[in-house]
Amino acid sequence: MELPAQLEARFAELLRRYPRKRSALVPMLLFAQDQFGYLSDALIEEIARRLDLNVLQVTETLAYYSMLRREPAGKYHLQICTNVSCMLRGGYRILEHCQRRLGIGHKQKTPDGRFSLEEVECIGACTGAPALQVNYDYYENMTPERLDILLETLAQGAPPPPPVPHTSGAVHPRHPDEVPVISRRFGIPDSRTLRVYREHDGYRALEKALGMKPEEIIEEVKKSNLRGRGGAGFPAGVKWSFVPKDTDKPKYVIANADESEPGTCKDRPLMEFDPHQLIEGMLIAGFAVGAHQGYIYIRGEYRYVMNILDEAIAEAYAAGLLGKNILGSGFDFDLCTHTGAGAYECGEESALMESLEGKRGYPRIRPPFPALVGLYGCPTVINNVETLSSVPAVILHGGEWYASLGTPKNGGTRLFAISGHVNRPGIYELPMGYNLLKMIDVAGGVANGKKLKAVIPGGSSTPLLKAEECDLAMDFDSLARAGSMLGSGAVIVLDEETCMVDVARRIMRFYAHESCGWCIPCREGTAWLRQMLDRFHAGGGRSEDIPLIGELSQNMLGRTFCPLGDAAAMPTISIVRKWRHEFEEHLKGRCPYKPAEVLAGAD
Amino acid sequence: MAEQKQIRLKIDDREVTVPAGTLVIEVAKRLGIEVPSFCYYPGLSLQAACRMCLVEVEKAPKLQTACTLVAVDGMVVHTNTEPVRKARRDMLEFLLTNHPLDCPVCDKGGECELQDMTFRYGADSSRFVELKVHQPEEKWSELVYFDMPRCILCFRCVRICDEGMDVKALGVGSRGVYSAIIPNRGDHLECEECGMCIDICPVGALTSGTYRYKTRPWEMKYVATPCAHCSNGCKTTLSVRNNQILRANNRDLSGFNREFLCAKGRFGFDFVSHEARLKFPLVRENGAQKPASWEQAVRIVAERLKAIRDRYGPEAIGVLGSNRTTNEENYLLNRFARATLGTNNVDHHRTADYAGLAAALGEEAPRAMLRMEELREAKAILVIGNEPSYQNPLVAWQIRWAVRNGGARLYIINAQPIKLRRRATCFVQADEAEALRHLASGGGQLSAETRHALQELETEIRKESDVAIVFGAELYAKAIGDLVDFGRQLNGQTRYMALGDYANSRGASDMGLLPEFLPGYERVSDAAARERFGRLWGTELSVVAGLDARAMLNEAGEKIKALYVVGSNPVKTFEVPAEKLARLELLVVQEIFPTETTAVADVVLPAASAYEKEGTFTNTAGDLQMLRKAVDLPGVRSDFDILRILAHQLARLGLGQPFAARTPEEVLEEIRQHVRGYAVSLANLLAGGAEPVHPVLEADPKAYDVPVGAIFSSRDTLFSSGSLTRYLKMVRSVNEARLSYEELRNAK
Repeated sequence: MELPAQLEARFAELLRRYPRKRSALVPMLLFAQDQFGYLSDALIEEIARRLDLNVLQVTETLAYYSMLRREPAGKYHLQICTNVSCMLRGGYRILEHCQRRLGIGHKQKTPDGRFSLEEVECIGACTGAPALQVNYDYYENMTPERLDILLETLAQGAPPPPPVPHTSGAVHPRHPDEVPVISRRFGIPDSRTLRVYREHDGYRALEKALGMKPEEIIEEVKKSNLRGRGGAGFPAGVKWSFVPKDTDKPKYVIANADESEPGTCKDRPLMEFDPHQLIEGMLIAGFAVGAHQGYIYIRGEYRYVMNILDEAIAEAYAAGLLGKNILGSGFDFDLCTHTGAGAYECGEESALMESLEGKRGYPRIRPPFPALVGLYGCPTVINNVETLSSVPAVILHGGEWYASLGTPKNGGTRLFAISGHVNRPGIYELPMGYNLLKMIDVAGGVANGKKLKAVIPGGSSTPLLKAEECDLAMDFDSLARAGSMLGSGAVIVLDEETCMVDVARRIMRFYAHESCGWCIPCREGTAWLRQMLDRFHAGGGRSEDIPLIGELSQNMLGRTFCPLGDAAAMPTISIVRKWRHEFEEHLKGRCPYKPAEVLAGAD
Repeated sequence: MAEQKQIRLKIDDREVTVPAGTLVIEVAKRLGIEVPSFCYYPGLSLQAACRMCLVEVEKAPKLQTACTLVAVDGMVVHTNTEPVRKARRDMLEFLLTNHPLDCPVCDKGGECELQDMTFRYGADSSRFVELKVHQPEEKWSELVYFDMPRCILCFRCVRICDEGMDVKALGVGSRGVYSAIIPNRGDHLECEECGMCIDICPVGALTSGTYRYKTRPWEMKYVATPCAHCSNGCKTTLSVRNNQILRANNRDLSGFNREFLCAKGRFGFDFVSHEARLKFPLVRENGAQKPASWEQAVRIVAERLKAIRDRYGPEAIGVLGSNRTTNEENYLLNRFARATLGTNNVDHHRTADYAGLAAALGEEAPRAMLRMEELREAKAILVIGNEPSYQNPLVAWQIRWAVRNGGARLYIINAQPIKLRRRATCFVQADEAEALRHLASGGGQLSAETRHALQELETEIRKESDVAIVFGAELYAKAIGDLVDFGRQLNGQTRYMALGDYANSRGASDMGLLPEFLPGYERVSDAAARERFGRLWGTELSVVAGLDARAMLNEAGEKIKALYVVGSNPVKTFEVPAEKLARLELLVVQEIFPTETTAVADVVLPAASAYEKEGTFTNTAGDLQMLRKAVDLPGVRSDFDILRILAHQLARLGLGQPFAARTPEEVLEEIRQHVRGYAVSLANLLAGGAEPVHPVLEADPKAYDVPVGAIFSSRDTLFSSGSLTRYLKMVRSVNEARLSYEELRNAK
């Protein structure tokens, strides 16, 4: 099958990136889809042929990823997010408005083929909620009026109004309590270029690291108390120290840029404003563990961010910062990006590696852990983008300095994405252990003068806190004591008029959509609870459902293959326990609140 | 090998010592403690997906999956505490939410693991009131149907197809609760149609196109017996209701093939009840075959044989045996030919040179015969010739097992890129006999490139120890000598398996259906052997050299005036013009179906099939197993009975002695006592086990040779079985039955 030259070139480049051909599968499918609009049988056969796979291996893999299509979408594919942060600020109104305007529903296409519509899960624009994507372009802080303008411009065939240039809420006047360490270059013109990065200490940490012994680097990272920023909070230095030193196998460093936890949009600005900081962090990690190849696994929706990273990587190669004999040190390191294609589960590190190997993103049995058996069965360090982006500062200023910024055992700063019912949703870099109530003030306080009802402290998988529980330090240990988790640092603020049943419903809808289907309790449990909460919220609840919702969540908890089941269970359990009365009120046949989206939002 | 470290742990207060690295679920099994599971299946990769095997481990924060938990020293495990029981109950509740609970009409009802587990561990009521995910049933092939709603996604089918069969025809589509098993061709399967996925399915999601909705499992009786088709000796368990075989599988793991069966083993039983079966004797009268009574037919055969022998002498009679009749029948046929008729013109279609292997091995034979079970434990395997994946599917399965689970290295020499090459450490494409000559002596006509590749293979294989060698009909006589010479240079004890075609190919050879050998490869030229068997059979045995099969057929109507054929179709197999056989004065054929040969026969005697009689088969590896009779077909007689009756008739006419033995058991007793290598223990055999046989051919092995063309394989595929092929309706119903070897091999 003959392919356009540009796609051929892209395929050829992809095949050079990986030691195993199959790894190129998901990117190839997505790029081919970009070109042809969908994945036809002929395309699938062609890609299978090129990768020495059978057609089934290709079809079963693509069936897993929600961005990959077997049928054409419209010329403009509108993907409207209704996940919690967007819902709280009018996401459903945007969706309904769009449905009315276009006369089509979820996963439908206008007869002229111009538009198609899809209700999507969190697209990582939570501080710019409500948000949508037209193809790969982000449009944030949407209102029905702005949507009208967008649709009209698109319908006229005129170039669409420019999308937001960067993550909404990432650049703002600094609050005095902020400690800009990893976000210090946000907003500086051309911060993503090597020139500007170098003007602001760029690659000095790498130079320093190359003069250190690998074990000294690991020791420094241990001292910094830098803990995993993806959600689990495992100490990064300890993780690195598990990588065996004497092995014949190649080793890998992976940046987990599959940011998908609802409410979380802090890796996106880190990469779009400061891609070199991440590259530098990965280089240092690679040098510390003896790896010579790195991959940045980035979620498929972040296409423009991936382009920024690709440019930065090319710049770094040109400057001798990647490739052979980096800065004359004798250290070799290659790096490339790898696109996902729509799967929250691939943010789980072992599922991510399966995905990077070109398979369905099923998690792996652990132990063994990635440090011993990771990508391609080889020792692998896999860290969140924010974790790796913090490494240059740790090395440059020392582990102790970094640790001193936070609380004991919780070193450094953290990028908090504060979304929902606040006046100034945004991404704020605050010290670890910063007080949650003060944090809401940093974001301008609860929107529209309403009272605080609840906070989701670390992304939608963390147990919710009632307003009166929110006077606490935002670090891993304090939140654990409060029965919740710091998670990905995504703080979602809910005001007094938020229907908690609706929140529980929306959260479960997400996890049911994202459950990979591997294990029984998660696959069946999330689907059951989704149906039950949908019914309950719509007024069809029965009194026996209330304890059942809690019990079924409990039945998933701790028994699923990977943490996704826990992620679905924990917030649900907390909502049923803490706001049981709201469920009881629903038994009367209606939601006691007006639909949440009418109460909040940008208009 | 280093002694494996032993560890001690406690399960449900019982101390146990096991080798380090054992999974807790296996330790429990060893103690007789059931830890329920769906996705765990020994020999397949671990999943930990069904979460049924959660157990409590002291000092662990939460329940652990016993199927992935490696036992460590001092571990304390509880499998029957309230948290464990509750977890099982909860998992089953989740599982049943989207399950249709259509047990009353489900094929699996009564033998369903989900049903059993729900009965044992499940809740007594359902709390699910939402809509179930539904999808209509799909027909994936004539043999495989899929009911998605019943599927519990244990992924056994996907794994058995990929890891076990190396076919990869099943995958998983969609995600989450909509996940579903999908076939490789969109809406249908293109595969080897082995049906492994059906039998390994713990529920009724995958069902058999030939069995579905026919009956209930408890209405059938189950008869485990060796398969009637290829030479590998798989046990197939026939499910019988009202004297009818309704299905075959090996869910009871009755044979060394354990769960394995190929399409023929699983679906190739329907020839038994095919409408074309011969059900009464036929006797040619005035040019046309007419139905006759058994009495008439046998009398005619006896009288004419006697007349021909009287007129032309015993050398004018030829006897062609079968690859599918039992050892007892073959033994009797041998006696019938040599003692009753007095001729050494005895042969059969030889599909492997078993005699050649015995000759090359000589005294080493008992140690150097590779049994079918041992193949899966081998650490280094050399495959020469044949296409095991299609001709010897169990052999291929065992090899894949050894590679997958035992880390075995696989070396292949074959003129064709056979399917097993995908699992090979080293594959050399070369003419097998030439390659062997090269390995044994450095000679052989090969290209420089091939020689180089062979050298690499040789270097590697010389590092191995206890190599298991499997070879096809490409090697015979001298080439086997070359092979054994090479094998003797390797480290440890090299063992061999010759691959033949049919269910008792090996037995035909071992029982002496060869002109120059008496049973157990004792030479006709050996006076002592002749004397011994002569005494046993009540006659002095002829020393006149016998003709082999081709010679007999060539001489049909010339030197050979009468041909007695049992379960063989020489017109087709040896490509003898039917007119040539028509020139015989007497052609008698014992058969189960009309064939090109029965068409020209003077007398056709309808025989019972392998599933309708008792006796033993010897598989290609020398594993002796007992047949169990599953059904009866009125009108037919076993080859055993036919020979016995005929011998009796001939004795009355003054020719030979009647056979004293009335049952196959009595003949087996004679075989055990008098056939070399067959002195096996009866207990295991009677219990359904396999006993190794190893005839020794010690006298002058170097002198052994066979003419070119005497040994050849029919090269059956997964969808053909010699002359039975056309009567295998189910097996032939699939699209793949029309694919060539090459197309099957290249199917991705």
